[in-house]
Amino acid sequence: MSKNYLEIKNVNFIAGGNNKVKNVSFSIEKKGDIVCLLGPSGVGKTTILRTIAGLEKIETGTIKLKDNILSSEKCHVEPEDRNISMSFQENSLFPHYTIEKNIYLGAERKNLNKKKKINPKKIIKLLNIEKILDKFPHQISAGEAQRASLARSLVAQPELLLLDEPLSNVDQSFKEEIQVQLKQILKDLKITTIIVTHDSYEAFYLGNKCGLILDQKLKQFDDPYNVYHFPNCIEVVNFLNRGILIPAKVTGENSLENIDLGTIKGNFTKHYPKGSNVQLLLQPEDLEHDDKSNLKLEVVDRKFRGTNFIYTLKTRNELYVPVFVHSHHVHQHEVDEKFGIKRPIYIDHIVCF
Amino acid sequence: MRVNFWYFGSLIVSLTVAIPILTVFTSFFENTTNYFEILKNTFLAEYIFNSLVLLIGVLFLTFLMGVGCAYLVSFYNFPGVNFFKWALILSFAVPPYIYAYSLTAFFENYGTAFSILKSVFGDGDYNKSIPKFDGMLGAILSVSFSIFGYVYILTRASFYYQSQNLIELGKNLGFSKFKSLTSIILPSARPAIVAGLSLVAMETLSDFGAVSFFGINTLTTGIYNSWIAFDDLAFANQLSFYLLIFILALFILENFSRKKAKYHSPTKGGFKQKEKINLIGTKSFLAFLACTLVLFLSFIFPLSQMLYWTIIFPKNFLDLNFQQLFMNTILLVSLSSLVLIFFSFISNYGNRVSRSKFLNILTTFSVSGYAIPGVILAVAFITFIAWFDDTIINFFEFKSVKKVFIGSILGLVLVYFVRFYSLACNGIKSGYEKINRSIDESAYLIGYSKFKTFLNIHVPYLRNSILLVAILVSLEVIRELPITLILRPFNFETFATTAYIFASQDLLEAAAVPSLFLILIASFFILLTSKYILREDNE
Repeated sequence: MSKNYLEIKNVNFIAGGNNKVKNVSFSIEKKGDIVCLLGPSGVGKTTILRTIAGLEKIETGTIKLKDNILSSEKCHVEPEDRNISMSFQENSLFPHYTIEKNIYLGAERKNLNKKKKINPKKIIKLLNIEKILDKFPHQISAGEAQRASLARSLVAQPELLLLDEPLSNVDQSFKEEIQVQLKQILKDLKITTIIVTHDSYEAFYLGNKCGLILDQKLKQFDDPYNVYHFPNCIEVVNFLNRGILIPAKVTGENSLENIDLGTIKGNFTKHYPKGSNVQLLLQPEDLEHDDKSNLKLEVVDRKFRGTNFIYTLKTRNELYVPVFVHSHHVHQHEVDEKFGIKRPIYIDHIVCF
Repeated sequence: MRVNFWYFGSLIVSLTVAIPILTVFTSFFENTTNYFEILKNTFLAEYIFNSLVLLIGVLFLTFLMGVGCAYLVSFYNFPGVNFFKWALILSFAVPPYIYAYSLTAFFENYGTAFSILKSVFGDGDYNKSIPKFDGMLGAILSVSFSIFGYVYILTRASFYYQSQNLIELGKNLGFSKFKSLTSIILPSARPAIVAGLSLVAMETLSDFGAVSFFGINTLTTGIYNSWIAFDDLAFANQLSFYLLIFILALFILENFSRKKAKYHSPTKGGFKQKEKINLIGTKSFLAFLACTLVLFLSFIFPLSQMLYWTIIFPKNFLDLNFQQLFMNTILLVSLSSLVLIFFSFISNYGNRVSRSKFLNILTTFSVSGYAIPGVILAVAFITFIAWFDDTIINFFEFKSVKKVFIGSILGLVLVYFVRFYSLACNGIKSGYEKINRSIDESAYLIGYSKFKTFLNIHVPYLRNSILLVAILVSLEVIRELPITLILRPFNFETFATTAYIFASQDLLEAAAVPSLFLILIASFFILLTSKYILREDNE
């Protein structure tokens, strides 16, 4: 007997007769855990959710929930018999019912496992949709429809909740507030959830684990911290777009050398023999600004991000290096100015490929 | 693909509808009597020539009236424009054969025109100076005025969606109104115009009532004659095959053009309500006159003629068993609507649930029944039942089923089912297209079964589509002539058959009363549906 709450083993996810994501295996250990799936558009994230929900069939592998097989080559439990809720990215509210009726339909689902009953009114209030309860789906905005659909899925208190880009149409100003509340509700009710998103910050905040789907494969399935700081392949680095890869040569147990930046010290996450040529992952927070340093690089771009600036610096060999600077730093540097980098460069965990 | 109850339901419905079409196709290889040789040497060329002349004449006139009226009511403001917008579709209430009776009645020697001239100018020999609209010209006019509405409705919907930006761009480029019409407006409405004209072509080629009244020999009347006069069912089917190929080509063209028409749908950001141009003075009067003339000729004229005769020959009115005819018509209308809606739902939902490509192709094939003239369908149906009875039933030594299907309400409704299945199926389908698939999936995910989703989500949501389909089917059944004529039970008459029988006995005055009732009932149904037919998003 498996000890995992949800287990996906060697599954090829298929949509419209085409293989979308191949040979996927991952599991959710505990009830109430949240997993976020990240990946570019069209890679098959939604197909994974649809298959888990029972809307698509599989030809290889198994999907088990609480040790019961939901899908396999020989078995397919129909969606209506799975007790899995899904909130779709597009408007999937029943057009001839009011928003209130739509939400309460979710609560009609038979669920013998409901120990702690959810109060639909609380969900409605949390998602700020009290004012639209009497309206019909065509009378509300896309963001409101998405929140209503989310409410319907939540009040169903399913054994597994699947959310497909649940907040993609929600205003940015309101998004963070909902993220906090949503996380709290899911935690309180112990609703095991898989969220598909393309927003890595949303995934890092909400997920206990993150899965990265790239090139038809699940490339990495790990804690958000590890996904960010210890990406396991170049594709993940490129997808997260939070750093660059620069050429370097391993010079010792704890050091390497780059032709433009000089010696870089730190702890390798993986052993490389001395003299190896590697690609070093350099993230914006790895370098520190120091006006007094003699290592000066040319500023080619400056992005203001509210709490910080990210400067893009050009090296002699035309590498473009990102550097994170707190926005309260005493002065700013303009494009074409020189920008000092603190030496010696020390990176806590050195990730190379 | 998911094989379940709904899949099989849909499969059976589509196969049933496809049977007459397949019968016509297979008959191509059967032996015929020597009637074919006689016909080939005598009338076949005439049949084809007449069919083509009729087709070209009707296409020209319907294009002129349909596009012209649609252009005027879509782009200009003039007195009565909002009235004309819907009143012009009333012409659908007058079937071509009733128009033909009116035309003849008005212009014949000592007809209504003669009476009017006599009452105004006194006695005189007016017959020579009154033009005669009979023969081919009469047939072209009758069919054109009766069905130009197809072109009008589709073109108008297309004009409605033409981007204001496109027209403003024309103005920017310094185009005159005429240049805008020929370079921008008409080309971008082309798919809709072609779609309308294809429907007109199909109806024209399948017309039986008007051409037989005027004694024009076309392929359709040829089929009827080869069956009735020469008792050669196989040859009737072979003639049908040729006509069917021709009609299927038009049908494919129409289908193709409809797909293209999607390019004209408004995008959320790109559509802007057009500002109509206010016409004043002579131009305004001319626009008003043009629309009035079309409305008068297509609807008011035949209605008045029938009303006039009903009033001056009250005996015909009193002799008519109105109650029986009405009950018969309503019986056929109700049964056909119920059967069509029920099976269209099964077929559409089966297609939706199973997502089978095969089923989709079969459904597309089976809806082509609408393109087959009623005469062909009726003949094909009799052929099939005869074959079924002689081979299958005979083999098992069961009791003959011919009487159950031929000359019975059941057989009649079955053939209506095939003929109007496309109308019902597409009506329900267009409703379904507005329901996103994720709606179904959401229902499954809150625990609804397929049946509960159908009953609790689809049926209530599609109630408007159901109503529209019911009314459109009713309208078609009321007007339908050849199928009813061939397959009706003994002594079972409708308004349409009664009018035809009187007219074929040269008793046009007597035909006026059932014709008048037919027009009035059909007008009532048109008025009920005008809201939907003219709905701005109806392209």
